[in-house]
Amino acid sequence: MSITRRVFLKNSSLAVVGTAAIPAFLTRAAYAAESLGAKNKRLVVIFQRGAADGLNIVVPHHERAYYAMRPSINIPRNAVFDLDGFFGLHPSLSPFQPLWKQRHLAIVHAVGSPDPTRSHFDAQDFMESGTPGIKATEDGWLNRSLHSLPQPASADAFRAIALGPSLPRILSGSEPAVAINNINDFGVGGNNPKASPNANSFEAMYEHSVDSVLHGTGQETFDAVKMLRSADPSKYKPAAAADYPGGHFGDSLKQLAQLIKANLGVQVAFTDIGGWDHHVNEGSTQGQIANVLHEFSQSIAAFWTDLGDLAEDTVVVTMSEFGRTARENGNRGTDHGHANVMFVMGGPVKGGKVYGRWPGLDQSQLYEGRDLAVTTDFRQVLGEAVYNHLGNKDLNQVFPGFDNQPGKFLKYLG
Amino acid sequence: MNLGRLKIGLILLLSLSGFAISVQLALGKKKDKHPTANPQMDEQKQAVHALNRLTFGPRPGDVDHVLAIGVDKWIDQQLHPEKINDDALDARLSPFRTLRMDTREIVQNFPSEQMIKAVADGKQSLPSDPLKRAVYQAQLERYQDKEDRKQQTAVAGADKVADDERTRRQQERAAADEKIEELLDLPTDQRMKAVLEMSPEDRRALTGALQGDKRDEFMEGMNPRQRETVEALDHPQQVVNNELVEGKLLRAICSNRQLQEVMTDFWFNHFNVFIGKGADRYLLTSYERDVIRPRALGKFEDLLVATAQSPAMLFYLDNWLSVGPNSDVANGIPKQANNQSRRRIRNKAQTSQSKGKRNGLNENYGRELMELHTLGVNGGYTQQDVTEVARVFTGWTLKQPKQGGGFTFEERTHEPGDKIVLGHRIKPKGEKEGFEVLHILARNPATAKFICTKLAMRFVSDQPPQPLVDRMAQTFLKKDGNIREVLKTMLDSPEFWAPNAYRAKVKTPLEFVVSAVRASGAEVTDAMPIARQLQNMGMQLYGMQPPTGYSMKADAWVNSSALLGRMNFALALTSGKVKGVQVNQFTEQKDPQQALAVLENSLLAGDVSKQTHDVISARLQDSKISHRKLDDPARPPNTSLIAGLLLGSPEFQRR
Repeated sequence: MSITRRVFLKNSSLAVVGTAAIPAFLTRAAYAAESLGAKNKRLVVIFQRGAADGLNIVVPHHERAYYAMRPSINIPRNAVFDLDGFFGLHPSLSPFQPLWKQRHLAIVHAVGSPDPTRSHFDAQDFMESGTPGIKATEDGWLNRSLHSLPQPASADAFRAIALGPSLPRILSGSEPAVAINNINDFGVGGNNPKASPNANSFEAMYEHSVDSVLHGTGQETFDAVKMLRSADPSKYKPAAAADYPGGHFGDSLKQLAQLIKANLGVQVAFTDIGGWDHHVNEGSTQGQIANVLHEFSQSIAAFWTDLGDLAEDTVVVTMSEFGRTARENGNRGTDHGHANVMFVMGGPVKGGKVYGRWPGLDQSQLYEGRDLAVTTDFRQVLGEAVYNHLGNKDLNQVFPGFDNQPGKFLKYLG
Repeated sequence: MNLGRLKIGLILLLSLSGFAISVQLALGKKKDKHPTANPQMDEQKQAVHALNRLTFGPRPGDVDHVLAIGVDKWIDQQLHPEKINDDALDARLSPFRTLRMDTREIVQNFPSEQMIKAVADGKQSLPSDPLKRAVYQAQLERYQDKEDRKQQTAVAGADKVADDERTRRQQERAAADEKIEELLDLPTDQRMKAVLEMSPEDRRALTGALQGDKRDEFMEGMNPRQRETVEALDHPQQVVNNELVEGKLLRAICSNRQLQEVMTDFWFNHFNVFIGKGADRYLLTSYERDVIRPRALGKFEDLLVATAQSPAMLFYLDNWLSVGPNSDVANGIPKQANNQSRRRIRNKAQTSQSKGKRNGLNENYGRELMELHTLGVNGGYTQQDVTEVARVFTGWTLKQPKQGGGFTFEERTHEPGDKIVLGHRIKPKGEKEGFEVLHILARNPATAKFICTKLAMRFVSDQPPQPLVDRMAQTFLKKDGNIREVLKTMLDSPEFWAPNAYRAKVKTPLEFVVSAVRASGAEVTDAMPIARQLQNMGMQLYGMQPPTGYSMKADAWVNSSALLGRMNFALALTSGKVKGVQVNQFTEQKDPQQALAVLENSLLAGDVSKQTHDVISARLQDSKISHRKLDDPARPPNTSLIAGLLLGSPEFQRR
């Protein structure tokens, strides 16, 4: 699959010369892929904050214990989209079905952090620092994933970006990274085509400020503002078929697609979606989890469509801090658990397969007698994307203290 | 309160300068009170520092006021808010009626969907008061519309219904716009009367079309109750939410009891509850007013117990639904069962698979109680402790939370038997088990350390000195969790007054926005536009969904989006472009350089770097600022732009 797409890209980059019929975005994409080479590989990380219930997302519908432990909130076997006779997708993930069929979507189940914490805050922190159990780590793994990569020749203000009002832990660190809440008002006095005198004044103040915290951020900010101004991403409207739902998450991915299409050199990007902490009335094929899954998958599928050929060089990984109890609790909800599920999608992904070893749901197989056990460390999944896709071979720096041998990868990237 | 601080000063002074000076100090002759503990922070700086840390930022004249009465005396006043007159604030808050209502009144005046459903089902009658009645009718109308649509969708299909609905809406909208113009020509009192005389359908359409400036114009001259009614016709719960948000901002901006408001904000954030979760939409008014604020400087255990029993927290962390797996309710034992039938039913229940809707533990509160409210995540508890605490708090529930009912203990859902929490055996005693556990937690040294670290992080620095935290924790344990005493220990410490603490904290968006409004001496007539700015900066008031609350540390708030947001807010504020906020002329100085000097002093107490000064100074030549043209040399400079640049400068981002 990916080979044919790549061939198409290469051919089109030759063919576009003098071919007016080919849309501009295609020619740009084709040129970009050629001229920027490896730098154009992108990794997009999506965090499901609040501990998504992996067992109701990618459902082990062949497990009798699953139905016994979840009498009121299980996803019936006849409602799932069957993946391989054992697992099935929650029906609200229908936007993922074409991706699965085209083998662009892979799933890793029973994946998670070895740290036993069931604290949202700590577990998110560990997944973002990439060092479970070690709180002293100051930077995030996604920031470190850029460390050993060659410096891009031109300005790189958008190399690492987060969509949202604040810079998350995962992107904090020594590599410049920017947070963008809304690209339309990213600037002083709005995103004007020309820098205002006020913007210049603020830039001069922050540029030479002795305040190290504000100075650094100020400089990154104004670099980004200038780049954004010249690229004018507002030109890049979503593709007609990209059906983004309303809300923060869909908006974030829509804006991310704009930035990628504007050729701003995005290498790593991050955004998040909340609303997964379903202690009460989680729902099953309908209800809370169904609603948030629909927003989640519809947004990602729209992003995928929107990227068009640029999806070829993009890998999207989703993660959540931990899973939820195998049994439903007293309120038709679930409490904090352990292992979870991750989605990986992208041009180079060998999809259409559920990776990882399934530990089972019998009482004796559960972690601490209550949760799905972790059989794949989340760093192994992320490490493979960093190593094979971004091309950063120094995994000891990205995930210090974790034995991340390429030989042990799940090989979802081939 | 400053005995402790005086003592440090005295001891050091005695050893250095002899007895005479210390006697002078003891007699209260102020002048450089803490020279040895803080060799570089002069009295002016102390006043600025105290204002920066204990308030939401100095207003014009505040530094002089603190210097006039003395830093120590001013701090002592702030520690006793009940003695500070706040009549002006109370007058300012008087139009917000929900801020004085109990939860039941709020729910009745601004009905939730459940209340409306009860009326629709005939379980409750419409209120007779005409204003209230209009609000109910509007919501009933909306509710029935929704029900009708559901039925039509089942018959005709969703697309058809949506199309019809759109057409109908457009027609309604056009008619409503016309009606609004008609009503605007009427005097205010007749306008409200005319609204009440409309049919419920028309009224609903009218209020749906009444938005933005037009709505402001429509409500011009109405009394608070009429205004609330007009807003409630469209969205009753929004009235409750908006008044709560406006109240918080006005208190932060205008209250003279600044430390109390800072501490209320601190504790609300510590015991965070999210306004978007179900019944919490109308439970937070009472939560902040009745649970948090009165105890903000009191005993920690009181605060802990009050939050544990508050409807807001019981609902937010789901404890009201938690049921002991071996309780009577879980076992299906009826209320009047005798011991024999009780045993029989219990035996049967244990073998049967199907249990009721509420039949088990919910660990949510038990976990956050230890992780976030008391011990801290490394406070030495286990998963087993979480489960045991959840068992203890079974039965702590709510009577009809959606009708505004309060806390109740329900024996029939309480888990029987002993519980072991952190090695303590909790004997069965119903509701009192919860008090015992809260008592154990409140007195645990891990709690003292956790709370004091957070306090020091708010008031001193992002990485507070450990010896200071340890001394605060000692006071916490010795004085039974007395928060005022803990703060005194902190305020008496050399660490608090150390020169490197001066302007060391980066402001959160709330602190930035409020301090900018305060510094500019602006008059706030509508605080909602400020609240929306905060939302854009990632700090929606009452809008933090996870129970962790917002971060107080710089790294969470220093990023590109946020910095640009601050610069833009500063410029908009000073040039009068933030709706609902009126700024006055900043200075009457005609000379631009002089004007800059004045504003550097009034907005930043003169703490402006050479860089910032030079940048703005250079801009003074800009015709936008100087306003000078060849033919008009006498026009005063654009001081609002100078002020905007100062409020957006790196210096103003810190406190």
